[in-house]
Amino acid sequence: MLLVDDEDVFREATARQLTVRGFIVQTADCGKAALELVKNDPPEVVVLDQEMPGLLGSETFIEIKKINPLVEVIMLTGNTSVDNAIELMQLGTFDYLMKPINIDELLYKIEDAYTRKKLNEKQRQDADL
Amino acid sequence: MFKKLAAFSKRFFSGNQEPDGPVLESAAVETLRLTFKSRFHSFKLLLAANSRILEAMADMEKALQGKELFSMSFVQAHCTSISVNVFRMIADMENIAPGKYSALKERFIAIQRRIDGLLGAKKQLTERRLVIPLEAVTSDMTDLVGGKMASLGDVKNKLQMHVPAGFVITAVAHDVFMSADGLQREIDRLFQVAGSDEDRNLDLVSSQIRQRIMSAEVPESIYLAVVEAYTRMKEAANGQEIRMAVRSSAYGEDAENSSFAGQYRSELNVGFSQFFYYYKQVMASKYSVQAIAYKMNRGFRDEDIAMCVGCLAMVDAIAGGVIYTRNPLDTRDEAIYINSTWGLPKAVVDGNDLCDLFVVSRDDALTILRREVREKGYQFICYEDEGCIRTETATGQGSQPSLTDEQVQALADHAIQIEQYYETAQDIEWAIDAEGQISILQSRPLQQMEMVLPGPELDLRRFETAMVVEGGINASPGVASGTIFKVTKKVDILQFPEGAVLVVEQALPSWAPLVARAAAMISEQGGFAGHLANVAREFGIPALFGVTGAMTKVQNGDLVTVAADLGRVYLGCIAPLLEYKRPEPKLMIGSPVYESLKEVSRHIIPLHLLDPESRDFLPQNCQTFHDITRFIHEKAVLEMFSFGKDHSFSERSSKQLHYKVPMNWWILNLDDGFTHEINGKYVKLEDIASIPMRAFWDGFAAIPWDGPPAMDGKGMTSIMFRSTMNPALVPGLKSKYADRNYFMVSKNYCTLSSRLGYHFSTMEAMVSERSGENYLGFKFKGGAADFERCMGRVNFIREILERYGFRAVVNADNVDARMEGYDMDFMIDRLKILGYLTLHTRQLDMIMSNSALVNYYMAKLTKDIDSLISQ
Repeated sequence: MLLVDDEDVFREATARQLTVRGFIVQTADCGKAALELVKNDPPEVVVLDQEMPGLLGSETFIEIKKINPLVEVIMLTGNTSVDNAIELMQLGTFDYLMKPINIDELLYKIEDAYTRKKLNEKQRQDADL
Repeated sequence: MFKKLAAFSKRFFSGNQEPDGPVLESAAVETLRLTFKSRFHSFKLLLAANSRILEAMADMEKALQGKELFSMSFVQAHCTSISVNVFRMIADMENIAPGKYSALKERFIAIQRRIDGLLGAKKQLTERRLVIPLEAVTSDMTDLVGGKMASLGDVKNKLQMHVPAGFVITAVAHDVFMSADGLQREIDRLFQVAGSDEDRNLDLVSSQIRQRIMSAEVPESIYLAVVEAYTRMKEAANGQEIRMAVRSSAYGEDAENSSFAGQYRSELNVGFSQFFYYYKQVMASKYSVQAIAYKMNRGFRDEDIAMCVGCLAMVDAIAGGVIYTRNPLDTRDEAIYINSTWGLPKAVVDGNDLCDLFVVSRDDALTILRREVREKGYQFICYEDEGCIRTETATGQGSQPSLTDEQVQALADHAIQIEQYYETAQDIEWAIDAEGQISILQSRPLQQMEMVLPGPELDLRRFETAMVVEGGINASPGVASGTIFKVTKKVDILQFPEGAVLVVEQALPSWAPLVARAAAMISEQGGFAGHLANVAREFGIPALFGVTGAMTKVQNGDLVTVAADLGRVYLGCIAPLLEYKRPEPKLMIGSPVYESLKEVSRHIIPLHLLDPESRDFLPQNCQTFHDITRFIHEKAVLEMFSFGKDHSFSERSSKQLHYKVPMNWWILNLDDGFTHEINGKYVKLEDIASIPMRAFWDGFAAIPWDGPPAMDGKGMTSIMFRSTMNPALVPGLKSKYADRNYFMVSKNYCTLSSRLGYHFSTMEAMVSERSGENYLGFKFKGGAADFERCMGRVNFIREILERYGFRAVVNADNVDARMEGYDMDFMIDRLKILGYLTLHTRQLDMIMSNSALVNYYMAKLTKDIDSLISQ
């Protein structure tokens, strides 16, 4: 999975906690670096912060979906705006978590997003047959 | 891609169920399996979202009781969380039943718009002026210049009293400043990140926000407007440089029921070269630790508070202080109270030092009724160049009265005029310069309280041996008890225990964040005119100030009783005195934050779709988010249940439970609820892998039912009458009530709809290693007895459920209970309780008019349950 957040302390601490729980985690500190990783080694699930310098999380999300529409994306945000949250959900993000996050909750969401991705892939294959 | 998910995936997609025998599967069956798997996954996500919504709604309902403090971040975060999860449920429902309930989305958008409108509501200013000269300010400009300066405008322009020249940087300028470079957005984000720990992270959040404000550029438009206003002042002063007092005048500050006393910064004697630095300091003080704590404690919305800044020519005062036009502690006392000290009035309002008190009669002669001249060892004075300093008073000066009798009477005359103009008691800050000119610096409404002194019925001599302090100034009346906690430095604030008695050397405004947590306050210095005293009165916390040697008279950890009205502190908890304790003010109720929560809740919490059997149970009738979630939950269960039938898919059709004999219980396996695929008609208990169903059944079957309780004649008549009126109550007749008992299960999930005798219950449980997502829901309804006794049983069940940690609510004749977030073992025990109650509360409604039998059954059921969960 790929974790994208510009806050170094948060990103590194969260990556560490997810690694301890058995995940293989790649990290990026901005949208641009995340897109490079998605192109070269597509992750199953991306956890993406909304407020980042340069490309915003929502902009990065749109670009990720262009590269690989099946990747599931969980958005993180420190902003409570309901408008933003619903807009992001309508764009097709898998879920939306508000900071400060509970690491277990993030873990469940990643598992759920992964399951959803695999089901979508299977259903797509089934439809192609 | 990653280890854990790979293992998880293998388990999920291979299925852990061994088929009974080799089965040839067609492509169509495989597609159905896949479709069902996908729908079941959406169903699980939907249930988790539903659980989060119910939990968030429970938080909101609790907050609406007004007993706890919460901020606007709480309201925002809960609304966002609920909206996101309702949206999530709609999306999942779309996957479960594509295209069938599309009207839900329209309802969601309509409700969401209403909530957005309420959350985004902010007072819109039609005015565009960034700076307004004080000559043009009047009291109807509160929105634009803040309460403090609006009030001062009238003192200057309507009452024609002397107020220093100056101008106000307006609320419009505040908005311009805060919106430049996304500053406000960044502040909102920092608050959000602090989350529910806002209180604990206060220091960090406050410092981060203030740093952001201090490093922001003052927008050019504000800069130019200020330079223009200052230049005019300078021209009027024949070109002389003017030093300024830069004072906060926030919107909402100094209102009648909220003082914000001393919560914001004011800078004195500022030269124009440093002006914008201090302007930003005042702006940043909106986010000082004490200001954030105060806002939170009083339920103010951050977005409602615009920091306007008043800029007045500095008065080089030889004496200054505060007038209370009435006694703040006694509404019957009509005298005027003048607190005064040498130098600037800062020493009085900050509560650092002792000051003189002159009490003046309101009669024509303005008779001075009382003079309390105290030793004023220190004074604040202006530096020659810039700033001010606390310095020792000259030898002999400290013990001299800081005002002459003429000055006292002139001040009293000002006070009466101002009070008459505002038609309410006032708290007035004033200064006198070397020429004897009186300047009014501030006037705001004064809160008055009644002292609560014990009458002759209480002999205080009984407690004299326990008295450790006598004397001091009653700064805020009341009685309270708690353990002593001395605070000498800022870091002590973090350690301050809830409900302790705060003891400090000086009654500084910076201790204000502790007021909401303290039972009472004692200070060696300070009087009843200081900011901290104001805040204490506002929060209803007893405060005794000016207690010489307080820091040594009591020790940390001492349990004491503070009786501020008596000017006494006693060791121990003096219960007879505590009977004079004031009721705690519910400051949240009616506050802007509270009202915001109340308004948005109206679109979230009420439930209108109560009866799934009703014709009105339709998406278009959803008026609130709760209606939407209720509708979706009901329909999602039905859709999952009917999948097998709708698609002629036998693998997903229900099986009959075979427990010793075939039973009237039907079970639908949603995924991995059986140990293996069952092809026949029956499923045995040992074939069931569902953790919650097994736990429920363990409780259900653990203790045999004694049979129906002995009914009295009244009970029998009641059941016969009700059966005549409602044929559905007669067992055997075909009706909607005569449905079977159904379980739907997966390994970690179970829902049950059951009818036993004349009552109906539903149970839903998610129990897995994911404790954060675990929940239990239980509803119990009906009975054959009359309404009163059905209610009796419902309350009987509620009492038992609450005893074992459920949150239970009784509505009409049903009880609705829920719990969430506990670990698996705890949940399993609670499921056993539900299983037990489902069986053993059968027909108990019949005995509800007999209190002896009620007590007997309460004792029996509780004993059984205790033995059940200790196994």
